[in-house]
Amino acid sequence: MNLVNSIKSVSSWIIIGCIAAIMPLIFDSYFALTLLSKMGVLVMFTVAYNMLLGQGGMLSFGHAIYFGFAGYVSVHILNGIGEEFLPYFPIVLFPIIGAIVGAFLGVIIGYLSTRRAGTAFAMISLGFCEMATAFTLIFVVFFNGEDGIQTDRMVGPEPFGVSFGPQIEVYYLILFWTLLTVVLMYLITKTPFGRMSNAVRDNPERAAFIGYNVRHVRWIAFTLSAMFAGAAGSLHAINYEHIGFESVSVIQSGQVLFMAFIGGVGHFLGPIIGAIGLTYLDSILLDYTEAWLLYLGVTFSVIVAFAPGGLAGLIVMHGPIANTNKSLLLGLVKPYLSAIGSTILGVLGFIGIIEMLYFKSLISKGEGEIIIYWTEFNANGLLSWALFIGMIIAGILLSKITYRQAKESWDNAMSVVKSEISS
Amino acid sequence: MLNKFIKIIIFSISLVSFNFSAFAKDQIKIAMIEPMSGPLAAIGLDLIEQMEFFAERVNEQGGVLGGRHIEIVPFDNQMIAEKTIQQLRKVIDQDIRYVTQGVGSNHALNILKTLKKHNKRNPGKEVMFLNNSAVTTSFTNELCDFYHFRFDANVDMKVAALVTQLAKDPDVKKVYLINQNYAYGQSFQAAAQRLLAERAPHIEIVGDELIVPFGKILDFSPYVAKITSSGADAVLTGNWGPDAARMIIAGANAGLKVKYYSIYAGIPNAMNQMGKKVSTFTPIIQVTESHENDPDHPQWLKDIEAEYFEYSRKSPYADRIRMLIEMFATALDKAGTDNPTDVGFALEGLTSRGAKGEIYMRETDHQIHFDMVLSHVSENVEKTFIYNDEDYGMAYITDGWVSREDITLPTTCKMKRPKKS
Amino acid sequence: MDVFLFTLFNGILYGMLLFMLSSGLTLIFGMMGVLNFAHASFYMLGAYFAYQISEYVGFYPALIIAPLIIAFLGAYVERYGLRRVHKFGHVAELLFTFGLFYIIEEIVQMVWGKVPVGYHIPPSMDFSLFNLMGTSYPAYQIFVLTVSVFIFAGLFAVLTKTRAGLIIKAALTHPETVSALGHNVPKVFMMVFGLGCGLAGLAGVLAGNTLGTEPAMAFMLGPIVFVVIVVGGLGSLKGALVASLLIGVMQTFAVSMDYSLNSLISLLGFSFDAESLWRIFVDLTISQLAPVLPYLLLVVMLIARPRGLFGTRDV
Repeated sequence: MNLVNSIKSVSSWIIIGCIAAIMPLIFDSYFALTLLSKMGVLVMFTVAYNMLLGQGGMLSFGHAIYFGFAGYVSVHILNGIGEEFLPYFPIVLFPIIGAIVGAFLGVIIGYLSTRRAGTAFAMISLGFCEMATAFTLIFVVFFNGEDGIQTDRMVGPEPFGVSFGPQIEVYYLILFWTLLTVVLMYLITKTPFGRMSNAVRDNPERAAFIGYNVRHVRWIAFTLSAMFAGAAGSLHAINYEHIGFESVSVIQSGQVLFMAFIGGVGHFLGPIIGAIGLTYLDSILLDYTEAWLLYLGVTFSVIVAFAPGGLAGLIVMHGPIANTNKSLLLGLVKPYLSAIGSTILGVLGFIGIIEMLYFKSLISKGEGEIIIYWTEFNANGLLSWALFIGMIIAGILLSKITYRQAKESWDNAMSVVKSEISS
Repeated sequence: MLNKFIKIIIFSISLVSFNFSAFAKDQIKIAMIEPMSGPLAAIGLDLIEQMEFFAERVNEQGGVLGGRHIEIVPFDNQMIAEKTIQQLRKVIDQDIRYVTQGVGSNHALNILKTLKKHNKRNPGKEVMFLNNSAVTTSFTNELCDFYHFRFDANVDMKVAALVTQLAKDPDVKKVYLINQNYAYGQSFQAAAQRLLAERAPHIEIVGDELIVPFGKILDFSPYVAKITSSGADAVLTGNWGPDAARMIIAGANAGLKVKYYSIYAGIPNAMNQMGKKVSTFTPIIQVTESHENDPDHPQWLKDIEAEYFEYSRKSPYADRIRMLIEMFATALDKAGTDNPTDVGFALEGLTSRGAKGEIYMRETDHQIHFDMVLSHVSENVEKTFIYNDEDYGMAYITDGWVSREDITLPTTCKMKRPKKS
Repeated sequence: MDVFLFTLFNGILYGMLLFMLSSGLTLIFGMMGVLNFAHASFYMLGAYFAYQISEYVGFYPALIIAPLIIAFLGAYVERYGLRRVHKFGHVAELLFTFGLFYIIEEIVQMVWGKVPVGYHIPPSMDFSLFNLMGTSYPAYQIFVLTVSVFIFAGLFAVLTKTRAGLIIKAALTHPETVSALGHNVPKVFMMVFGLGCGLAGLAGVLAGNTLGTEPAMAFMLGPIVFVVIVVGGLGSLKGALVASLLIGVMQTFAVSMDYSLNSLISLLGFSFDAESLWRIFVDLTISQLAPVLPYLLLVVMLIARPRGLFGTRDV
């Protein structure tokens, strides 16, 4: 059984890797490759972050420090190699430099902030992050202020003709490291240390009672997480050939928090889903709406309030059902579809209202024509407002019914599962 | 369990589509990378609006190259450096050959350097950077590039204008420098120190301060106290945004009677935020291309600005977007093609009309030159400033003009030009 | 000596402003254990509401109405948002307010636009009250100082001397007992949260016209408030007051000091190699470091006294 499981999980990783490896064949534009590379980097960063939040129970608003500082060091070394006052160091191994930087900072800052988890830890991490951002603006000689530092990744010899000039080569570099580190982090969760970290998250008093030094466990988890974040920061700098103070700031830290939490902190794959999904939306919706941050904030708050397990949590809920009796899943499809349908109706209405409000307050100069959902609406006319508000109301009313039905059918399925297991 | 996730991941990725609209050959596109969301969105959106207005004007008057239209394609960078690079890569994908940007010199620097690499690696597919208001001097000095043109005066030129006027001001004997501690503020400081020594040796510098930038300082009263005790008559500052507004508000509250010589402290939304009492408590002097209430404001420009007001419900503030589009259109016609290299050669040395006299694109460093006007915020004006139909009740009064020769500074640029095709 | 007194006075003015902001946050944290990330957002809303209301009815009614609206808004957020999240623990509550922070910032931009609005000091208090070393002090600044002193006195009296204060405190540590005694604990929490938000709103009303009312104001001020309540000791009102004053005075003094490490070194009779990289560090003056000082204080406090000035538990 154990062997079957591990083969299953190994083969899943290989499949994920293969899919990621053929992506560039489908999406080969410069921008698409940049975006795919960014997804890789952020997957790595978010999974590292989740070692802290999901596995260790420490909410950090300052994880960008390790990500950003590692980026700065990498850029300096790249520039040093380019100007030939530093010996050549293979670009392939740059994430190791980032990891060292991240781990170094993690040891220091972790020592100062891991005495307690929870809200106090969160506040302290925010303080550190603000300080780091201020330093990037004050110590101009190292951080170059708000300009950040530009670099050229095409330095040194080109082994096997790989120069890392073309974006596709960078993508495969990032893919390799992302897979490697994510698998590593996955294995860490399976070690006794990973279990210890969970125990400290769930009940620090009991963990201390059975003889663990709670603070040391947190400190180690913190350092490991910072180390992987540093490796990701290195790759980030190589991807953009630039690093700036934004990469150290609270905004970057908040972004990784959004990704991890919306994806789901309870499951190892949650942050991966979150990182890929949000990176995509963040880069694409930019061109369509100015209210993206509002939608993100609302989504986040709704997930915190209603589905604290994130997207992954919602899927995991169905694990037992799928494992015992797959036919039960089919019975869920209909109530789920109607629940999703009514949600979409309400959400479409909400987005319509927000887009019209934004349009009226920021863009429009009196004229009313606005294009939402590829259709022209008149933001000055009562009809379009009534339509969207009607959609919201209908969505809410329908949700009240459909959600109850969906919940009931899930409950029913679960009770069947329970009886099957016990019998 | 994992397999289930994989299926979902595959599904969600297959929804991803990176398709772009086909490149319309008959239009000449200018990609505009500015913040359209986030804290500085207002500035970015206003610039885009101006750009679209002037492009439309050119199109209505028959377009360029025998009837082709100029199209502005906005890209949002959210004021995040990585997003600027990302959007620029998208621009390159879409085969747009002209990029314009202005908000944030750090973003301009990113575009400049990224395009330098791109143009070197992809000959024949060069992209030109039309810099609309990023002012870092080095862009037209040591960093100068054939495919970069700047349509705004750089920091050094603006400081030269301020100092030239300062030297003529009989009230000023002592000046206090206060600047933001980052690339822009430091270059303002260096230029001010150098030019004050050259052009106004009789003025004593009684303070020289660098502050932490970007609204990190909440309380400016200690700085005001320092300025007061130094006995300065004027403050020469490059500060902008909250770093300028809070300083001037704190000064007015403390009854500090100094003249502010600035680049951005008196911009329209700043003066509205500070209110009439603070904005006119002491003269806030600023330097621009032109302004509506200037006694010599030419009629043709008044007509254009009236048209712009009808279009946007905003009073005109700066003239540089008009300069950019008009010169760009002229250069296209002169080159007879939309190839950036030829357009670049056509832009070099090009002259055009300005509010006072001629404007001129210097060949040696691709920096525009024109007469500049110094003005201060006042309530006693003919036309008050209106923004989205909100009347601010204030506008600018001319203090004096500084001629093109006075702001022409030597350049260190060693331009590498491509071969003419 | 004069300079010293003058700087001290400026520092106190600034410190009391910080206290007004952090008092609501430390109140909520001390009573409910909730760390409200969106606290500065309520401060921002206070400034915007005051701007809008004073357009119609003038500043003084706005001074009362705006904080009241914010208090109700806060109570509403607690009732329909936080209470739902409460069962998931304090971290979830913090995350919820983190999302709220983004939402409020975007809504403010949607309603009032992205440029700063013209919210000004009321003309009736825009006169110079007295002069100190050539700098005049407007009556408004003294008014703000007075209000903040009253807030401290009022809060302190309510929490320590009245029955209501005792119930609130007990509701945190022994919610079951308190509800068994016939008090509605969720309602108590709702009122506390509303009060805390109202205080932030009041700070916004009073400070928005001197510090500027713009969409980024919450983001710029938020972190410093967290520093105040950690340094003061989590949940301690007295600590928040002392920490605010400490940070205010420290920053004001730092700004007026143009000394750097280099001045110390040359005072000792050494000189530094002008080309050395270390120049950058030794040339940095204290006044340039001023904005980082609160965070440095935070780090020093964490090393030396993890519970903060007046805290009861380690952080």
